[in-house]
Amino acid sequence: MITIISHSITFGMLCAWLVAPCFAQQVTQPLPRLLTVTPMGGQVGTNVEVTITGDSIEDVRELLFSTSKITAKPVTGTDNKFIVSIAADAPVGVHDARVMSRLGISSARAFSVGKLPEVTRSKPNNTLETALALATNSVCNAVMTKRAVDFYSFKGVKGKRVALDCASVGIDSKLTPVLIIADAQGRDLMVNRTSGVLDFTPPADGTYVAKVHGLTFQGGAEHFYRLALQDGPAPRQAATATVSSMSWPPTGLAATAKANETEPNNQHTQAQKVTLPLDVAGSFFPAADVDTYEFSAKKGEVWWVEVASERLGLATDPFVLVQRVTKTGDKETLTDVAELYDIASPMKVTSNGYSYDGPVYDAGSPDVMGKVEIKEDGVYRLQLRDLFGGTRSDAGNVYRLIVRQAAPDFALASWAVHMTLRNGDRAALSKPLALRAGNTVAFEVAVIRRDGFDGEIELGMEGLPSGVTAAGLKIATGKSMGHMIISAAGDAKPVFAIAKMFGRATINGAAVTRPCRVASVEWPVKDATGDIPAPRLMADIPVTVSDSESAPITITASENKVWGAKAGETLKIPLKIAWRNEFNGTSIKLKAYGTGFDGLKEFDLPLKAATQDAVLDLAALKIAAGDYSLAFYGIGITKYRYNAAAVPTAEAALKKAEQEATAAAVAVKTVAATDATALKLATEKQKLADTAKADAAKRLKTVTDAAEAKDTVDIFVSEPIRISVKAVQVTTAAATPKK
Amino acid sequence: MLILKRRMMSITHTAWMAVMLVGPSFAAESPRPMNFANDIVPILTKANCNAGACHAKAGTGQRGFRLSLLGFEPQEDYEHIVKEEKGRRVFPPAPEQSLLLLKAANIVPHGGGKKLEPNSDGYRALVRWISEGMAYGTDADPKLTGIDVEPKRMSMKIKTAQQLKVTARYSDGSTRPITHLALYEPNDKSMAETTEEGVVKTLDIPGNVAVMVRYSGLVSVFSVSIPLGAPVDQLPATKNFIDQSVFANLKLIGVPPSPICDDSTFLRRVSLDIAGRLPTVDETKAFFTSKEPDKRDRAIESLLSSPDYADYFANKWTALLKNRRDAASDITANFAFHSWVRDSLLANTPYDQIVRQVLAATGTISGNPAVAWFKRVKEPYLQMEDVAQLFLGVRMQCAQCHHHPFERWSQQDYYSLTAFFSQVGRKATTTAGEDLVFHKRGIAQTENKKTKQPVKPAALGSPTLDIPADEDPRLRLVDWMADKTNPFFAKSLVNRYWKHFFKRGLIEPEDDIRDTNPPTNPELLDALEKHFIDSGFDLKAVVRVIAQSHTYQLSSTPNEFNAVDRQNFSHFYPKRMQAEVMLDSIDQLTGGKTDFADLPAGTRAIALPDNSYTRSSPFLKVFGRPESASVCECERVQSSSLAQSLHLMNAADVKAKLTAAGGRAEQITKAEMPEPKRIRELYLAAFSREPNADEVRISETHVAKPRADAQGKPLDSQRSKRLGYEDLLWALLNTKEFLYNH
Repeated sequence: MITIISHSITFGMLCAWLVAPCFAQQVTQPLPRLLTVTPMGGQVGTNVEVTITGDSIEDVRELLFSTSKITAKPVTGTDNKFIVSIAADAPVGVHDARVMSRLGISSARAFSVGKLPEVTRSKPNNTLETALALATNSVCNAVMTKRAVDFYSFKGVKGKRVALDCASVGIDSKLTPVLIIADAQGRDLMVNRTSGVLDFTPPADGTYVAKVHGLTFQGGAEHFYRLALQDGPAPRQAATATVSSMSWPPTGLAATAKANETEPNNQHTQAQKVTLPLDVAGSFFPAADVDTYEFSAKKGEVWWVEVASERLGLATDPFVLVQRVTKTGDKETLTDVAELYDIASPMKVTSNGYSYDGPVYDAGSPDVMGKVEIKEDGVYRLQLRDLFGGTRSDAGNVYRLIVRQAAPDFALASWAVHMTLRNGDRAALSKPLALRAGNTVAFEVAVIRRDGFDGEIELGMEGLPSGVTAAGLKIATGKSMGHMIISAAGDAKPVFAIAKMFGRATINGAAVTRPCRVASVEWPVKDATGDIPAPRLMADIPVTVSDSESAPITITASENKVWGAKAGETLKIPLKIAWRNEFNGTSIKLKAYGTGFDGLKEFDLPLKAATQDAVLDLAALKIAAGDYSLAFYGIGITKYRYNAAAVPTAEAALKKAEQEATAAAVAVKTVAATDATALKLATEKQKLADTAKADAAKRLKTVTDAAEAKDTVDIFVSEPIRISVKAVQVTTAAATPKK
Repeated sequence: MLILKRRMMSITHTAWMAVMLVGPSFAAESPRPMNFANDIVPILTKANCNAGACHAKAGTGQRGFRLSLLGFEPQEDYEHIVKEEKGRRVFPPAPEQSLLLLKAANIVPHGGGKKLEPNSDGYRALVRWISEGMAYGTDADPKLTGIDVEPKRMSMKIKTAQQLKVTARYSDGSTRPITHLALYEPNDKSMAETTEEGVVKTLDIPGNVAVMVRYSGLVSVFSVSIPLGAPVDQLPATKNFIDQSVFANLKLIGVPPSPICDDSTFLRRVSLDIAGRLPTVDETKAFFTSKEPDKRDRAIESLLSSPDYADYFANKWTALLKNRRDAASDITANFAFHSWVRDSLLANTPYDQIVRQVLAATGTISGNPAVAWFKRVKEPYLQMEDVAQLFLGVRMQCAQCHHHPFERWSQQDYYSLTAFFSQVGRKATTTAGEDLVFHKRGIAQTENKKTKQPVKPAALGSPTLDIPADEDPRLRLVDWMADKTNPFFAKSLVNRYWKHFFKRGLIEPEDDIRDTNPPTNPELLDALEKHFIDSGFDLKAVVRVIAQSHTYQLSSTPNEFNAVDRQNFSHFYPKRMQAEVMLDSIDQLTGGKTDFADLPAGTRAIALPDNSYTRSSPFLKVFGRPESASVCECERVQSSSLAQSLHLMNAADVKAKLTAAGGRAEQITKAEMPEPKRIRELYLAAFSREPNADEVRISETHVAKPRADAQGKPLDSQRSKRLGYEDLLWALLNTKEFLYNH
């Protein structure tokens, strides 16, 4: 029995609908997901043969990348291999790879491009004896085996630093790598278990061994890594962007800071004298480092402080303390002016309890973004600490500190809404914009507002393929979240385009447009009891429509128009419903997305009802005059059949194979026993025909099993509905002309 | 408070009147007005009335009558005796009819039996106090300032007795004999006994023993040296300062040491103690053939630089640091923390740095595995207690509720030390049950549960600190710990490591360092402490200096005099292998493999990250691998049991190792070498020594014996021989020589 709640809605008991135990229920209709691309990258200017695996991907026609500098062609005769061509001028870094499949565009998988020669481990190297020799300044692509240690050998030169760097988490891998450098006998010399990098200076010329394993010795296809051995020191391998980095850098920020911190500056007496505005780079080093900056400020000034460190990809937690300094004789008194901690998440992120009670995406950050109001003329000190830095001495933990006058702005990130199911169901799924014909999906759009910007933000998309429309449900004044509703027409044909999402606002009288990046989880986490979702920002926003399957339900307003009403009225909007699948229960309970309408009391949409009125009590909802967009949504359980169209095709194929096998058997019997050559040929043909028949039967069973109706819970969203609410004309008796 | 004092003064005045009326005898005996804390509480303490099992039982007392433990709270005791229950416990008009006395003398049936003889000094003092009106005393009364025991230190022969004399000193300069009221307790009951009257009797074990003398919350020590008096004509050469101290002590007490052990014993011993494993046959052979004069030092160095050292000592530390698996999802934190400890030891990170990184850890477990300690030890007071016991060798637990009975630590000290952990901030992470840890800005303080007053941080025996809100107080605590003058930090570690190698700490238990529990060889402990501090808290240096000492390398075979020695290290005290070491050793000997969940094949038991493997391995459980629930090494059970013997002889897992495909029995059977050489290989593998002629002969005969299968059908010679070798392996691993490090 399952009860469904949502991070924005509580649906109450759906138990009455359900008789199937929860394990039999599928969460969300299948979407194409690219799971692995092996090798996970390549060198610029080379061709690489890659092998792919995925979920719900059939008829894969193309392997596509987020840069046009990487292209791929299928390897003839295979359905999971491609030759990837990386142009000589392809940007070095991590790009998104995805495939085009029956259901459309898949979720993305990181694909790295570098300048070093690469190899792919092809046979087990789990012992000292089978160590794979790795040349310095090369990259090895490999997949970790469960409960195993991978061994590599390399030549070290006394005193010559080498950098061993294992990319994993930053390239979508589930591997938490442990790196070990050992002597030629395999005896460990140094280890890193937290960041996947080792800086090693060989004590003598000779052979050394690099070992790699998972922190808890987990392994499997999802635990891939790229091991780079380079002359040290070397920069880290590129990584994907965290969701928190959506708010960095501020628009127009110079690539490098104007100044650097000067140590020693831990003590107040050592404060580094600066003038505002300030843009300084520094590091939380050594352990328990405090960086103290002193400046003068005037009463009434307001300064905005921003620190980036975690958003640069570091495991830090910056904290800013601003104090006013007053002196009586030699005695100095410090008075707290501001304590600036984290950048709050725009919305409640899921707790780590036994079910998700919010999105898994955290657009906030342990970094700092806050305001300092100066109440008195005087001298002030700003101290910057890493709350995680008490015992840690790592010069790589850098930061950038900016103190500026208000530069109001905003940054956006978006992700597909997902359900939260009680009873321990913790599914966090990547949801590529692979739309089924007639489907409408909703994305949450979160905003980080900068320097006091409080205004309304209109949301939109551009570059959508034909047959696909999008409507932004704006982020209201002072709010932190809006929605994007994306719909594919019921008669949409297969299309593909790279779209853009954006937000528009008026800041200080000027129209400002900012891009909105889309985030997704790297892996479909179907049961997160033992798995923690890893979200990241995607490189771009590919959108497709597939006509291989249609949406189970399409909900639209009866007319495509702007629905007008006066403030305080009750607006009735007739909904038109196209039901394509069977649903469990008796109705779907609908609520609404959209500013002002999220308080709408849920109402029933009876199953199979072709129409249903949505009644909006504008007075109760306190909807003021203005233009609005909203979308209705509800959670329902549908009988979903995966790729049902494949069944008759497979049946026909089997029938044909059976006929050919029968014919081949007859042919064997009719061949003259004396003609040995002909008999041999006929027998071989029969054998092939029998194999083909067996394969066809197997395929039929596979597609038939997959096409079995499966209870599938999903969010169903109406197409967006536009409403224009007019102010009520205030009239008085005196003003009304008498007849 | 003021009212109470006034009332007491009034009572005192009345009491004086009563004294005048009752008769001159008391007045003549003691004209001084009685003081409850000075005169009455010690009587109750001596009579055990306020013992934890009696009326000082936590929370309830006994049958409604509650006293503070050992009389540490005289004001509360006064309330309970004089005022509680409408004052029915005392009856001034007829003091001897007071319930307090009727019960104490068991005239009215008393669950605790007779605690005071009528007409004893204590009884009469109580009668007088009641008859005088039960004065509490005044602020002007003299305060107890100290106790002195005489003699303080002496040498006593075996099986002799000595009367102690104990005197109390007061703030007015006066003294009183309190021998009959003081409490006496030896720190090693196998060496000395005490009587209620303060007589110390030595038993038949030579060495040093201390008798703790307690009186009204104060303690003093009588130290006894018990010589054996045997001739010490020959001493091994002195390798380092350890030998100087140990041999000087042996000479002083007349216990002749055993000679230095042979190479075989040394290599096996040092490999087991440093690397937690047996030497390989190749290592043993190479060591035997080496002519290097410093080959023992080289062997030590080789072991110290091996990852085995890090694995073995990480196994020790992670159990003490409570790396427990309570839920399946703990695996990541546990693996990370165990590995972090192991890697720190491998890198030989200075001990003070390791401790700093644990105590003051911040961040997430994945980013900083030391944070995992805060996952296991959540409350500030538990963090303090664990830190005190594990890193300082001080047990503070008692002082949470009352003044420490054997120590100078008060509740104020307890909460002052806890206050260092008061600013540990936590936030939930994406991993259920795991918080990230940060320094929460604010003034560090904690509430004294007794006084309800906030208490600021103060290290043990140190003044209160005013730590700015922006400083993590934990860093101040580790600064104090790592200070070269810290009296606990280095001492605690060297004592713990000494015990690792010698089976017995210089202070026992190893984590109970206090004035009343002095080391058996104070000069040695001081020297080890200094050496460790001077080395920059270098853990390998501690191991090195211990293992290099000739004291460590003495034979375990006692001579005609020193068999009785338990604490002077005149010979090596054999130790049963720890559970993990034994399992690895059996695998090494038999060629069998033990498979551990989630770990690569070939992972040894000493490298197991947490206690989950104890639960899943009957072998480890029966041989006492700890559950990582305590900071006390005593959680590891090192005693022997019938279950252990039966396991080694009969258990399926051990049998499977003996018969393992590709194992030692199969390999040795197939090996192309004469029988005596095969037997030699087995002895080298098991004992790191050559077999003697008898052992070869007996083994050879057994292996060559014809065998039949279950149906009585004769087995072919290879099969029969293999069974013979399996038998031989079984016999070898069931010997004490194999099971013990000796």
